[in-house]
Amino acid sequence: MKRRTFLKGVAGGAAALGLSSASQGVVPALAQEARFPDLVAVRGDSLTAMFDRALSALGGLERYVQKGETVLVKPNMGWAVPPELAANTNPELVSHIVKNLLNLGAGKVYVFDNTCDNWAAAYRESGLEKAAKEAGATVAPGNDSGYYQGVDVPGAKYLERMELHELYLEADKIINVPVLKNHGGAKVTAAMKNLMGAVWSRGPLHRLGLDETIPELLLYKKPTLNVVDAFRVMLSGGPRGRGDSKYLAGRMLIASEDAVAADAAACAVIGVTGVDAPDYIRNAAERGLGASDLSRLNIQRLTA
Amino acid sequence: MSSAGETESGEGKGGGRSSPYFLLKWIFRAMGLLLLVLLARALTHPDGDSVVLSLYPKFQPGQIIAGLFSHGNSAFVLSFLVYAVLTALFGRFFCAFLCPLGAGLEAAVLLRGFAKPKGYSYRRSGIWRSVVPFSLLLLFWAGITFPYGALEPYSVVAGAGYFGFRPSLALLVVLGSGYFLGRGFCNFLCPTGFILRLLSRRSLFGMRFKEGCVSCGKCAKACPASCVDYRNRKLDAGRCVLCLECASLCPAGTLSYGREAKAALGKAAAAKTDAAKTDAGKVLRRRAFLVRGALGAAAAAAYLTGEKARAEMLPELRRFPVLPPGALSLAHLNAHCTLCHTCLRACPNQALHPCENMDLALWRKPVLVAARGFCQYECVKCTRVCPTGALVRISVEEKRVWRLAQVRLKKESCVVITRETSCGACAEICPTGAVYMADGLIPGRPEPYVKPEYCVGCGACQKVCPVEPMPAIWISGLKYQDMLAQRAPKAEGPDAVLEDFPF
Repeated sequence: MKRRTFLKGVAGGAAALGLSSASQGVVPALAQEARFPDLVAVRGDSLTAMFDRALSALGGLERYVQKGETVLVKPNMGWAVPPELAANTNPELVSHIVKNLLNLGAGKVYVFDNTCDNWAAAYRESGLEKAAKEAGATVAPGNDSGYYQGVDVPGAKYLERMELHELYLEADKIINVPVLKNHGGAKVTAAMKNLMGAVWSRGPLHRLGLDETIPELLLYKKPTLNVVDAFRVMLSGGPRGRGDSKYLAGRMLIASEDAVAADAAACAVIGVTGVDAPDYIRNAAERGLGASDLSRLNIQRLTA
Repeated sequence: MSSAGETESGEGKGGGRSSPYFLLKWIFRAMGLLLLVLLARALTHPDGDSVVLSLYPKFQPGQIIAGLFSHGNSAFVLSFLVYAVLTALFGRFFCAFLCPLGAGLEAAVLLRGFAKPKGYSYRRSGIWRSVVPFSLLLLFWAGITFPYGALEPYSVVAGAGYFGFRPSLALLVVLGSGYFLGRGFCNFLCPTGFILRLLSRRSLFGMRFKEGCVSCGKCAKACPASCVDYRNRKLDAGRCVLCLECASLCPAGTLSYGREAKAALGKAAAAKTDAAKTDAGKVLRRRAFLVRGALGAAAAAAYLTGEKARAEMLPELRRFPVLPPGALSLAHLNAHCTLCHTCLRACPNQALHPCENMDLALWRKPVLVAARGFCQYECVKCTRVCPTGALVRISVEEKRVWRLAQVRLKKESCVVITRETSCGACAEICPTGAVYMADGLIPGRPEPYVKPEYCVGCGACQKVCPVEPMPAIWISGLKYQDMLAQRAPKAEGPDAVLEDFPF
């Protein structure tokens, strides 16, 4: 018993060292207190109830956000299409998260996206601008290079310099709330891919290769928590969705601090696993940015 | 110059260094040299933003003529008209001080003056002088441009400048011709000189003989263009490059720049009509008419041959610009658009811009520039603000199938092929499903494909394509906008159901 506590202490110390050098992402996960799972997957009929269930399993939102902190909630609202087509994150889920954050005493909650469609149309048609505003968040624009700042990315092989949205840089905590979808280029889009909406110029990512560059979005700053909306999952014609897009009633929500693990689980939902899984997940795991092997993670499967 | 010493002691007014033409001649030479030095500096010190390089060639009639016949857009038409009118009024001023090769030729003429004081003599005009330059133009019109470039003054100098003005064959030939033939190059080799010669043959102002000529012949001896016929007191204005050698030497001051005296004009006209009345005159006129007709026909044939080739080479984007939704066609837009540009302001994606093509039919017309923004699916704002109906009102429902342009995909430029990476930016943003990713050469590496029958030509794919400088996927304009016959089919049936946790 005593030896075990001693070992735990050593592991914790190593984790602290790892954190301070900010070079490893896997170590904290290993050293995490055993009572909290690495990943929570909840199935149910209501995204808000599923979120509450997932967060209580993870130890509550207060584990992630302290009073007075500035929080960025980053949904996917890139497309000027209505919520039911599930090309954007569900507005009710985002609204619920914003409300919970404010109830917790978060100083300010921001929501923005660098949209693909015209930004005003996407903010409006997705229903997210209205939902987030009504919940009390500040909905910020992301449509001008002036909102973005160039940063040097440590350890980058491709994106040595990135232009990140000032809110992404300045926020104390980032809650990444993607929607799970099929994606024509990246195969699957969920947690990591959603961070492309915090980058100004996406041309270089496409040019240098999505599989190589998407993992590097985690290098500068990782989201505090990833909440993947897999309620209605677009199986084809993504990410915008087309008339002939096929859907899956996933009825699931995935929550994890590890964006790579969340993406690996999301791929399993969409049915793209093994050699078919997007290379960016493998690449991210190989570069130590997260864990892609679900069998080695502590996963909690719940129903709400 | 060599004969300047002789004329100093010459009698009467005019001639020599006291002549205003002497000063003007050197001012012209200095201007020519200054421009040549500026150009040479710009050519040998490469600088992407060089003002000299961006402006200088645009004022070169040889380049304007080339552009006129290969593009025919109004910038060239306007510049050419300006040159044509100025040359018809004032003669070949370009050859006097604007031609980059003229300055070099003047240097060769000076050199000859020191070595061969014997000078030049008058040579008759003749159609043989047009054979080389006219052939060069014929070839150029037919689409073979390099012979033209080998003798067109700016191309010769700029081409030599690229090699740091090392002695090249072209340069040696041209400057050698200056030594042996004076400005002969300008009158039987240079294609620019040929066109300017035709324009200035009856120029309003030019070098003219006034009363008082003593027939000393100094002018003819000094004329590097061999165009002064002092015996008949005539000067071939077409060949005169306004070098002012003759006037600066004329001891009697009878050669000067100005208009033809009225009396002389009347006399010439009368002589001409008299000559035309004779049988020989009639034969000559008929011959001239036939020759000109044949040359015109040859020019037209060459131009049409080349035009066919040029039309095929012209990028589709230039053939038909992408017009805003509701413009129907360029003809419809031109019939109604007042260039108020309200549609440009209304466009939420800043996709509409004033057309920068100088073609009169297009200039400042609203066009969609996909490189800057794409036409938002289901957006009809521009058609709502147009005050004249140049953009007809279309409904959102119509807009979903309203075809502005057609998609073009050059897959061999796509990053999926060239870099073997995942991209899909085009398919990602395509609102209609006309661009989609599917398996291609490499398993698990989706490539873009297009279904033109679903494409509305919004240009979103072109906007996001990361390939530089020319995107691998782009839109090209249509002659007439129309509506798609079909939309991508809708998926039917309920969503598939996920039974349990898949992990």
